[in-house]
Amino acid sequence: MDTLSDTLSRIVSIALLGAVTGALASLAAIGFVELIAALNDWLFISPRSRFMVDNARWLVVATVGVPAAGGLIVGIIHRYNPDRRSHGPPDIIQAVQGLEPRIPLRSGFLSAMASMVSLGAGASVGQYGPLTHLGATLGSLVAGCARNTRWMVTVGVGCGVAAAISTAFNAPIAGIVFAHEVILRHYSLRAFAPITVAATVGYVLANMVFERPPLFRLETVDASSAPEFVGFVAIGVCGALVAVVYMRAILCSARLARKVPVPDFLKPMLAGAALGLAALWIPDVLGLGKETLRFAVIDQAFGAGELLVLVVAKILATAMCLGFGFAGGVFSPALLIGVLFGALAGNGAEVILGELHSEIAVYAICGMVAVTSAVIGAPLTTILIVFELTRNYDLATAAMVSVVFSNLVSYRIFGRSLFDVQLRMRGFDLADGRHKAILDQRLVEDYVSLDYTALSPDAPLDEAKSRLLEADRHEGYVVDANGIYLGTVTLAELELSPAGDARGPKVTVGQLARPEPLILTAKTTVWHAMEQMGDFVGESIPVLEAGGDGRLLGVVFEATVVKAYLDTTNRIRKEENAGG
Amino acid sequence: MREDRGSHEATNIWSGILNVRSSIRCVGLCIALCGLAGPAAGDASDEQGRTITVATWGGPYERSQVKAYFEPFTKATDIRVRTVRYEGGLSELRQQLGTGEITWDVVDMTMADNRAACRQGLLEPIDHAILLPGTDGVPADEDFLDGALTECGVSQIVYAMVTAFNRDAFPGERPARIEDIFDVKRFPGKRALQKAPAANLEWALVSYGVPREDLYELLSTERGLRLAFRKLDRIRDHVIWWTSIDEPVDLLVSGKVAIASQFNGRLFDAAVVHGHPIEIIWDAQLYEFGTWGVTRGSPRRKEALEFIRFATGTGPLADQAGYISYGPTRHSSTRLVSTHAEIGVDMRPHLPTSSANFRTAILKDTEWYASLHDRIVARFDAWLGQSETNHTDQATTDAVAEGQDDRSD
Repeated sequence: MDTLSDTLSRIVSIALLGAVTGALASLAAIGFVELIAALNDWLFISPRSRFMVDNARWLVVATVGVPAAGGLIVGIIHRYNPDRRSHGPPDIIQAVQGLEPRIPLRSGFLSAMASMVSLGAGASVGQYGPLTHLGATLGSLVAGCARNTRWMVTVGVGCGVAAAISTAFNAPIAGIVFAHEVILRHYSLRAFAPITVAATVGYVLANMVFERPPLFRLETVDASSAPEFVGFVAIGVCGALVAVVYMRAILCSARLARKVPVPDFLKPMLAGAALGLAALWIPDVLGLGKETLRFAVIDQAFGAGELLVLVVAKILATAMCLGFGFAGGVFSPALLIGVLFGALAGNGAEVILGELHSEIAVYAICGMVAVTSAVIGAPLTTILIVFELTRNYDLATAAMVSVVFSNLVSYRIFGRSLFDVQLRMRGFDLADGRHKAILDQRLVEDYVSLDYTALSPDAPLDEAKSRLLEADRHEGYVVDANGIYLGTVTLAELELSPAGDARGPKVTVGQLARPEPLILTAKTTVWHAMEQMGDFVGESIPVLEAGGDGRLLGVVFEATVVKAYLDTTNRIRKEENAGG
Repeated sequence: MREDRGSHEATNIWSGILNVRSSIRCVGLCIALCGLAGPAAGDASDEQGRTITVATWGGPYERSQVKAYFEPFTKATDIRVRTVRYEGGLSELRQQLGTGEITWDVVDMTMADNRAACRQGLLEPIDHAILLPGTDGVPADEDFLDGALTECGVSQIVYAMVTAFNRDAFPGERPARIEDIFDVKRFPGKRALQKAPAANLEWALVSYGVPREDLYELLSTERGLRLAFRKLDRIRDHVIWWTSIDEPVDLLVSGKVAIASQFNGRLFDAAVVHGHPIEIIWDAQLYEFGTWGVTRGSPRRKEALEFIRFATGTGPLADQAGYISYGPTRHSSTRLVSTHAEIGVDMRPHLPTSSANFRTAILKDTEWYASLHDRIVARFDAWLGQSETNHTDQATTDAVAEGQDDRSD
C-alpha cells in the first residue's frame, strides 16, 4: 500500500507541477506582453499612439526621451542584480545543463522588471527571452515548493519555459519542443508529461480564455512550385549569413560598450537616446516592430531598397541596445530581421525566376525562420511555430527547407546558437557535450587532499625513507620553509641513492627531488585534469596554488578525479534516462 | 473638443441613415408618433417614475423600435415610453446635466457619441451583468458581438457601409470581393465613393490582403497610409465622390456609376423594396453599432436600465430586424430573424450580421476616428487635392440627408 500511495503521490505531484507552473508562467507571460503593449501606447512607442500625437515637436521629444529614460531605469535596476546584468535563456541553459537548475528568484524578477522597462520604453530587444526566463523562474519556484529535488526543479524550469513559449506563440507543440531542444537538450518520458501539461495549460489560457491574437495572420498561401524549393535552400544559406552577422554584431557591440569610458549604469541611457534619434528617421527600429513584421508578409508593402535599409538598421539597433545593457531577448528582433530579409529575397527571386508562383509571404516566412532558428539554435521549434501559427502544411514544408540549411551553415561558421556561444565565452562550453561543460566548471581545488608526506629539502635521505615507510607511501613532496613545492622523491629513488654512505658529502632529499611531470594548480578544471592524467603514473598529483609562487596546496589522487568524472556522468545519465 | 467634431460627423451620417423619409412625410409620422406617445406623456405627470423618456431618431427606424421594443416593454412592465427626437451629438445631454433638469432617460446614440459622452461623464456606467442571457442560455457577454458592449453602452443594432454594384453594368463576371472595386480592368465603370477617409482607407488596405484585425494598427503608420492611397490612386480617375447620402443609389440606378458605396439599409430599400438591379458586395463591410445609453443622474435610472435589459433581449432584437434591415447585436437574435413584417421578404440574407455577410466584416474603429478625425480628413483631402480637377462634378451638399428619399414602407 505504501508503494501504491507513494506512486500515486508522485504522479499527482508531477502533474500538478506541470499544471500550476503552466498556469503561472502563462498568466505571467500574458501580463508581461499586455503591460508592454500598454506601456508602448502610453509612452508613444506604438505606431498607433504616435499617430495620435498632433504635436510634431512633442513627438520628437518623446521619441528620444522615452528610450533614454527607460535606459536609465534599466541601468539602475541592474545595479541591484547580483551580477549587474539581466538574465535570459543562456542562464537557464547553464543552470539546467550544469546540474544546478534552481533559478535565483531575485535575479529572475529583477531581470523581468528590467526587460519590461526596456521593451516598454521601445528598446530594440526581444520579449521572448525575458518571457522564457520569467517562466523558468516561476517553474523553479513552484518545483522548489513542491519537492526540492534537482530533477523536480529541472522539470519545473522546463514546464515554465514550455508554457511561456506556448502562450507567446499560441503554439503548444513548439513550446514542448523548445523546452527539450534548447533547455533540457535530452528527451525523457517522465519530463515530457509535465512539460506537455504546462504547454497545454498555457495554450488554453492564451487561446481560449484570453483569446490572445497570433503573432501574425496570413491570408491563404498557395503551395509552392518545385523550382522555388531551390530558392528556399538559398534563403536558408543566406539567412544563416544574416543571422551570423546579427549575432556577431551583438557580441561586438558588447565588447565596444566595455571600452566606452562611461559608468555602466548610464550606458543603456546612451543607447536609448541614440536609438530615439535613429527612430526619427526610421521609426521601424523602435520597439518590437510588430507592424513592420505584419507589413513584410504583404506584397508591395516595401521596395527592395527599403527592405535592405531596414534589415541593416534593425541589426545595428538591436546590437547597440543589447550590447549597451538594455535587458531583453534576441528572438523578436531576429524574427523581424528575418522576415524583412525573406521579403528582400522574395524580391530577388522575382527578378531571377520571373513571375513567382508563391506569394511574397512564403519567402518572408522562410527568411524569418532561417534567421531565427540559427540564432536560437532550435530548428524543430521554429518549424513548429510556423506550422502551428499558420496551420499550413505547404508553408511549413518550405520553411523546413530553409531552417535546416540555415542551421547547417551557421553551425559551421558560428556555433549552435548565440546562447551557446555566449555561454562558451563565459567558460561553459556545451559543444563537446554536457559532461565536459560541467567538469569544466569543477575545479581541482575541491578535491585536494592533505593526505601526503611533506619533506623539508635538507632532510637526510634516511629520515625521508623512514617517514615514507612509516606512512606507507611511495612518494614524498619536498617543500621549503615557505611551503613552496620543490619536487617529489619516491621511495625507490631513496633506496637506490647512495645516501647511506657516511663518508661522502651528505645528500639531502632536496638534491634528489624532481618536479613531477604532471603538476596541477587549484584552478585547473576537473576536465582538464582528466585530459592530462592520460599518461600519468604515480600515486598522487601535486596541486599548487593558482597564480602564486608555487606553494603546495595538497595532492589529488587519480582515483578521486576519475570518481568525480564518473559521478557527473552518472548524474547526467540518471537525469536523462530515469529521473530521480 | 476633437471628439465632438468626430461625433458630429458620425451624427450627420447617422441621421442620414435613419431619417429616410421626406421631411413632409416625416412631420406626418411625428404627428402619428405624438399620438402614440401622447397618453404616455399625459400619464407621466400622474404616475411619476413609471414613464421613461427615450431620445431617438424618428422615421421608420423609430417605428421599428416602437413595434419591437416600446410596445412590448409597456405591455410587460407597465412602464410607458415617451419618445423625443434626437439628432445626434452631445449638446442636449450637456445642457440637461448643466441645468440639472434631466428629462431624457435613455438615448439611442452612435457608438462614437456614446464613447465620447461616457468619457465626459454624461452617461451612467452600465453593469453588463444586468443583461439577459440569450434564449439559448448563452451569457450576455458572449452572446453580444465583440465590441457591442461598452462602459456606458449596450448596442442594439449593427449598420454597415458596404459596396454595391448595378447588375446591368456587369453582364459577365461580377465583382464579389473588395479588391474587385480597385480593379478597373476586370470590372470597368465609374465608382461612387464617399468623399471621406472612412471606409475608403480600410477597403484600400484590406485589398492588399491585410487581415482586418490588424487594419487600424497598420493604417496608423505612414507606410500603411501610403499603401492605401497608392491603391486609391489606381481608381481615382474612375471615382465620383459623393457627399450626400442620397447620391449613391441614384447614381447606381441611373447607370452613372457601376459600383457605389452606401449604407446597407438604403441599398436594401433600393434593391428589395424598389426592385432595382442592385447587389451588395458584403466582403469587407464596415460596420458600426447603434447603442443605448442612460443619462447620468436620471431620476428614472432603474426603469431606464429595466428598459435596456428588456429591449436588448434576444426576442426584441430579432423582432426589430423584421421592420428594418439592420442587424441585431446578439448572435442568438440573428438566428431568430425571419421575414419582413410588411413586405414578407426573408430578412436574414439582408442583415449585415447574417453569418455569410459577416464573415469578413470590419468593425469601424470609432476610437481611431474620434482621436484623429481632423488630421485623417486633412490627409485624405490633401490626397484628393493631388488629383486633376476632373472630379468637380461631385455633389457638395451637406452630409445630413434632408433630401428626397422616395422610400416607402
